[in-house]
Amino acid sequence: MTTTHNASRPSTSAASLHRLVDAELSMPSRLGYVGLLLAALTMTGVVGTLWATEPALPMRTHVAFGLMVAIGSSWIVFALWVLTHRRILFARHNIVAGRMAVTFTSVFLLGSLLMGYATGRSEAYKAAAVGLLMLGLAVVVLVRAHREFARLAARRDALERELGRSRR
Amino acid sequence: MQGQELTPTVTDTQPADARAREDEWLAVRCQLGERQAFDELIERWGEPIWRYVRRLTGSNDAADDVAQNVWLRVLRGIHKLRDGSRLRAWLFGIARRTLMDRLREQYAAPDVRAIDDVDLPAVDTTEDMETDLTAVERELARLPVVEREVLTLFYLRELSLDEVADVLGVPVGTVKSRLFRARRILRREVERQQNHTNVSPHGTR
Repeated sequence: MTTTHNASRPSTSAASLHRLVDAELSMPSRLGYVGLLLAALTMTGVVGTLWATEPALPMRTHVAFGLMVAIGSSWIVFALWVLTHRRILFARHNIVAGRMAVTFTSVFLLGSLLMGYATGRSEAYKAAAVGLLMLGLAVVVLVRAHREFARLAARRDALERELGRSRR
Repeated sequence: MQGQELTPTVTDTQPADARAREDEWLAVRCQLGERQAFDELIERWGEPIWRYVRRLTGSNDAADDVAQNVWLRVLRGIHKLRDGSRLRAWLFGIARRTLMDRLREQYAAPDVRAIDDVDLPAVDTTEDMETDLTAVERELARLPVVEREVLTLFYLRELSLDEVADVLGVPVGTVKSRLFRARRILRREVERQQNHTNVSPHGTR
């Protein structure tokens, strides 16, 4: 469309929109929230397991565990909200997040097992059980992320062939 | 401009199927998270979205504000777009919803027809007024919002009847009747304005 109206020219500068994209697509910010989510999940999982399995805990310990689980749950909800509403994880981000989750949970599982082996304390093995469960979930997330990425990439490549475009 | 019809833009000559594939290609690359695709998305649609919003708000500042919010919503919502070939209808749908949200916030009673007269753009003077295109532009800005947006989407923003119906959330038949009414109002107003200009001492050529 051509127009001679000065008032009809966009005054929203391209630079401001590109700054918006920069902020919205910031990778460190996303990975920070993924890290927060993983840490909160681990902490809440371990504390929750201990709280549920330890026999004859005094009342003050019940209160302390309850508070820690509540705080951890709040961080989980917050991180999930940010990652689904503000710092959206696109296909390639989901793969990075999945790899982070697998690495994080693997290290946690190995650490718990080593601690259990070295000290013989049952709490370490309970933590390892939580770590194993989380590792399983992380692997599922990573596999799904790879599948979704592959589906979209295949569609992109097919459209590029149809349109006669080459990868830049 | 006796009997003259608005004509689609040059890019409308591109086959609809090819346009849909181009749109889907862009949408899929955004969903993959390719930074360059987002830049291309803004490069391609930044101006059309701004102009669409500008026509409906009648103000550059309001258009800037709404356009920023539109792009925020687009960036945060494009991963949920199931059918990338619907990209342009989806974009203008977001622009329309963002605009309506703003109007609802600004006015307690969301009577968009009443709002129409509030934000009329300033009328340009001298040479610009001497062309038919400018006369159409000016009269378009004076149309009620409902007629203005359907004309804008169909003739100036390259959307098909189905896509316009999708954006506005109304049946295709309603779009057709709105287009008919809008064209009739626009033609009448442009002709009236030209007659007025011809008899005016300042407008006599």
